[in-house]
Amino acid sequence: MPPMLTAAPSFDVEKVLASIDTMAAQKPVAAQIVSVANSDDTSARELAQILGSDVALAGRVMKLANSAYFGMRGRVTSLQFAVTVVGFTTVRTMATVALTDLDDESRLPANFWRVSTSVGLAASTLAPRFGERPQDALCLGLLAPLGIALLHHDDPEGYAALTATERTTAARRAAEVRRYGIHALRLTAVALEQWGFPRSMVAPLTGVDDLGAEESALLRGALEVAARLATDDEPVPVERLTCGLLREDALPPVIDKVRAEAEELRLAMLGQ
Amino acid sequence: MSASTVPAGSSVSPEIVSSIFYGVTVSDTLALLVAEMVGGTPRITWGNEGAVRLLGYAAEDLGALPVSTLVPTLRGGEVKLLLRRERAARMRLSVRTASGAFVESVVLSTPSPTGRMWTLRVVPAASEQERALRATADAHEQRFATLTERSPIPTLLSEQGMRLAHVNDAFCSLVGLRSEQLLGTGWMSVVHPEDLDAVIEQVVVVLGGGDGEARARLVRADGSERMTVIRFAHLFTPGVGAGFVGTIEDITQRLAFEARLAHQANHDPLTGLPNRTLLAQYVSARFRPGGSGLACLFLDLDNFKVVNDSLGHGAGDELLVEVAARLRATVRPGDLVARFGGDEFVVVCEGVGEAEAITLAERIGAALAVPVRLGGVDVRPRASVGVTAQTAEHAAAEELIRDCDIAMYQAKTGGKGRITVLDQQARAEAREKLLLVAELRDAIERREITLLYQPIFSATDGTATAVESLARWHHAGRGAISPGTFVGLAEESGLIGGLGLLVLDETCRQLADWDRTLGVAAPRRANVNVSALQLDANLLPQVIAALDRHGLSPSRLSIEITESALMKDPASAREVLAGLRALGVQLAIDDFGTGYSSLAYLRHLPVDCLKVDRTFVAELADGHTEIASAVIALARSLGLTTVAEGVETAAQATELAQLGAGFLQGYSLAPPMTGPDTAAWFAAR
Repeated sequence: MPPMLTAAPSFDVEKVLASIDTMAAQKPVAAQIVSVANSDDTSARELAQILGSDVALAGRVMKLANSAYFGMRGRVTSLQFAVTVVGFTTVRTMATVALTDLDDESRLPANFWRVSTSVGLAASTLAPRFGERPQDALCLGLLAPLGIALLHHDDPEGYAALTATERTTAARRAAEVRRYGIHALRLTAVALEQWGFPRSMVAPLTGVDDLGAEESALLRGALEVAARLATDDEPVPVERLTCGLLREDALPPVIDKVRAEAEELRLAMLGQ
Repeated sequence: MSASTVPAGSSVSPEIVSSIFYGVTVSDTLALLVAEMVGGTPRITWGNEGAVRLLGYAAEDLGALPVSTLVPTLRGGEVKLLLRRERAARMRLSVRTASGAFVESVVLSTPSPTGRMWTLRVVPAASEQERALRATADAHEQRFATLTERSPIPTLLSEQGMRLAHVNDAFCSLVGLRSEQLLGTGWMSVVHPEDLDAVIEQVVVVLGGGDGEARARLVRADGSERMTVIRFAHLFTPGVGAGFVGTIEDITQRLAFEARLAHQANHDPLTGLPNRTLLAQYVSARFRPGGSGLACLFLDLDNFKVVNDSLGHGAGDELLVEVAARLRATVRPGDLVARFGGDEFVVVCEGVGEAEAITLAERIGAALAVPVRLGGVDVRPRASVGVTAQTAEHAAAEELIRDCDIAMYQAKTGGKGRITVLDQQARAEAREKLLLVAELRDAIERREITLLYQPIFSATDGTATAVESLARWHHAGRGAISPGTFVGLAEESGLIGGLGLLVLDETCRQLADWDRTLGVAAPRRANVNVSALQLDANLLPQVIAALDRHGLSPSRLSIEITESALMKDPASAREVLAGLRALGVQLAIDDFGTGYSSLAYLRHLPVDCLKVDRTFVAELADGHTEIASAVIALARSLGLTTVAEGVETAAQATELAQLGAGFLQGYSLAPPMTGPDTAAWFAAR
């Protein structure tokens, strides 16, 4: 296996990107939501109307709106109101999940949702300290590992071998670059940019490797929280990851909160 | 692009031209580049003037520049992401200029049909104007954040459902938690579980675009509760969704103050017992017409006035507090003890009959009888108690209380310290009286009370000089009702003022009328009776107004006041009389000798005349002249005239004249007559 991984990129990232277009064609409703959701002149009514034609997705949005995460306790009874409650970015995130088959756990790397909900919750919990909207941060965190799914999708065996060999996040990222010419988070950035997600969601992913990039500080902090929960990685001092915006002593309560809520959010996102 | 924009001397392959025309609509202001694969590496092979201007490279230096040098943030194989073979790509990238500076740009790449060549359009991302707008928006948001942060009003901000994105310091200190504990759905745990539903209901309304408010208890970190009003306003962020701004008013203190006020309004401050208002509400809430089981005890302390007068009001208050405490300790749990007013208390019991109510009254009597030491004196409190148990005849709650009030008066009149149950007879009488009062009120309003006039004669020459006005009530159903009955009733029921005014006004009107019809033959004066209850500061202005209204001089009127009325409050009576006297009105003391007037007071009262009571006149026939002569002698020695009432015979008239009486009045001399009859009588003389 190692020789294959260290060899010159045999994998064509172009193929992955092309598959994104194919996905859109297969799930037109989700694709349409992804493209209109964050337009300033989109209303909850329009969005609900489009959403209504995808029963499975609409059901998931309703379930999420009534989940403990939003605190509405079953009082969300119309799709339009559900859209209002969860917010347009979240609807779009869920459409993206549907579009990229992230809702089918059998086709995802193990722990995928555990990681993505952890990153999402960590980002949303930490957001106020970084002056960011918690809800946008949640969506960014949830979608950040999207690139992993895309790589896994197109190269299941190769990606499985890669994750089996490389035990730490940093080593895995380096291996991804070697094998695919791009690592998963950057791939997420490319995909989101292609789907027209706002710059506020793309830029943090683009700059994630640059420790000086302040706009990526929140995402790096959230990824670190998820890593401490899910991996054996040596902890990286969070102050260094977040341009000094977050101190180590602020982390334990966030980790506790994320640990407590991640499973519930996973179920809500997957409509289970 | 015109041919003139192509740098001179450069040869442009037809493929390049076609790729440009394939890719974009060309303009001089655009920065356009062409990239192609050269030896396995993507390189810039051409740029237009716009690109030269934007990037600062000479046209010739642009050629062969590796694409990765231009967009260094695309590392390793990532250039492929921009230069796609199958489709156009659009990326936001930092583009490096010749000087090494970066220009934030959107780069759009379009592949040529061959897939080996790309047109790149570089559009600088943020224009100055955009940056300025963004800065202004940031400043606005910053100001808003600062405003709420420092605001003393607890404020919440949600951008999604119940999830808070922001809480200010005031809210944190209201609930005693840090903002991290409250953000997201954390704040929901500080809302009292019983109030949370109402809060969510309002949030539902507000997220739908309305406004709303909810009253909710917030549970502080230390477990204490604050009652608050949360006011919600809809908040919509385009492209994001709906949230709310919530402002919180802590109304705990206000409610406590209101509750204190409400308690004060319904309770007696001295004893702390419910007052009459609360008693009425309490009984009304429990009264079911036709039902039974409700009983009231009405207590009135005997001789309370004696305690107040002899030991002082402080001791009186002390006694009331002690009685209240004993009552509370004696009644069953759940019974209501209220202070009705003064020294009156009411106990209301549920689920009892008359027998149990009487037993309770006896227990109360025994509890009260234990001596209490007031101002060094042992006082043994006693009460007269009226008991009423609800019967089918009670139609309203007030009747129950009224009945036990009546029973208490019966107990009092029957000798103090008794317990009386209202019997049917007394009940019927009381109802009768109530009805009569209502009818009397109507009669006064409709001026159905009429006046008769009885002439008064000079004892010396027998001429009729004056009349006394006498009120009469002829009831349509009951016939004539005696003045003794209806005047007493009017005094008890607060109607005496209206009755008195009617008599005063009608008398004056009649006098004026007689003046017109009889001229000098008209009576010179009319005597009007005034009740003790009318003897106050209102009387003088009322007399003045009546005289004015009918154009009469004060000397035409004489006011008669009973001896007992004068003795109720001699000092104030004297003041009222002095005013009337100064006006020129005559004053007479009615029924003189029947009360217990102090002769010393009499000397100081500004009166003109004493009326000798008919009982003393009647005694003359039996040879008893002592009192009549004494009264007349007393009047003479004080410089007063006298009118003897009830003169029935010529012998009496002669005897009274000999005794020195000034004037005579009696049925045999002239009976009371209507106004017109009186006019005819005077005209005939």
